[in-house]
Amino acid sequence: MDKSVMVVGIDDSDHSLYALEWTLEHFFSTAPGKSPFKLVVVHAKPSATTAVGLTGPGAAEVLPYVERDLKIIAARVMEKSKEICAAKSVKDVIVEAVEGDPRNALCDAVDKHNATVLVVGSHGYGAIKRAVLGSVSDYCAHHAHCSVLIVKKPRKTAH
Amino acid sequence: MAEEQKRMKLLVAVDESEGSLYALRWAIDHLFGLEQAAVTLVNVQPIFQPFIYPAGPVVYATPAVIDSVKKAQEQNAAAILARALRICKEKEIKAETLILQGDAKDKICEAAEELHVDLLVIGSRGLGTIKRALLGSVSNYCVHHVNCPVLVVKPPPKLAHQ
Repeated sequence: MDKSVMVVGIDDSDHSLYALEWTLEHFFSTAPGKSPFKLVVVHAKPSATTAVGLTGPGAAEVLPYVERDLKIIAARVMEKSKEICAAKSVKDVIVEAVEGDPRNALCDAVDKHNATVLVVGSHGYGAIKRAVLGSVSDYCAHHAHCSVLIVKKPRKTAH
Repeated sequence: MAEEQKRMKLLVAVDESEGSLYALRWAIDHLFGLEQAAVTLVNVQPIFQPFIYPAGPVVYATPAVIDSVKKAQEQNAAAILARALRICKEKEIKAETLILQGDAKDKICEAAEELHVDLLVIGSRGLGTIKRALLGSVSNYCVHHVNCPVLVVKPPPKLAHQ
């Protein structure tokens, strides 16, 4: 029987790793090996030019270093995701890195793998930060061609 | 062996739209271990304001009118939840129902918080569907404001074109 595909979007933040763990805990660990989902973990690696956003004479020199750093971060993120999956005994996993804007990269990954669910974390930015920084989870909730699960890390509020 | 795993609490928001019932069916089909989960179905009825007439004379509704509207709403909510419960029963899922009054988006978020649910399931577009809109206003609001994970279920492309 064809398994349905679940795409989990990961970046360098705690929130997305929490989202991955939450997903594994609630969707996969109750019966390891019997889960109806196939898991695809996608890391959208920003390209050096978007990360730096510099134009001008100095940019060309900085780019190789930034690119190298981004590659190191991406590798670390992918390692971490593989560790988390292994810790929950989830074997049927593909981990991939895609270059570019995470919003489009995740929606494209959904189309490419014909996913039934897209899981993203959420930084929990307020309205103003969202407007300035943009929100990947927001964009995906609107534009992905499949159902979207947005996992929020519980805020530790002191009441 | 570990003690029985904490049961997952689910809140599913339903209204008259096909989208929300599809969301319920989708959740039941795809989510795992729902037989052990505590599922609550919630339907929010708008509060009837007897005197909003933007132009023209202000008319106060008589108690009889208010009563009959209230009754109609109760029947409406009961019918929606009955359909939802039937879907749950078909798949042998035990569910509880909750009827709330007020603004749908606020009430759903409140309910999710008060019940400390692990997951809120909501359809992407409900009744006020502007065809161009990618995400309805209630689901959009809930995605931003609720404290727990949210699953927004999109209708299959065929349904979306109706």
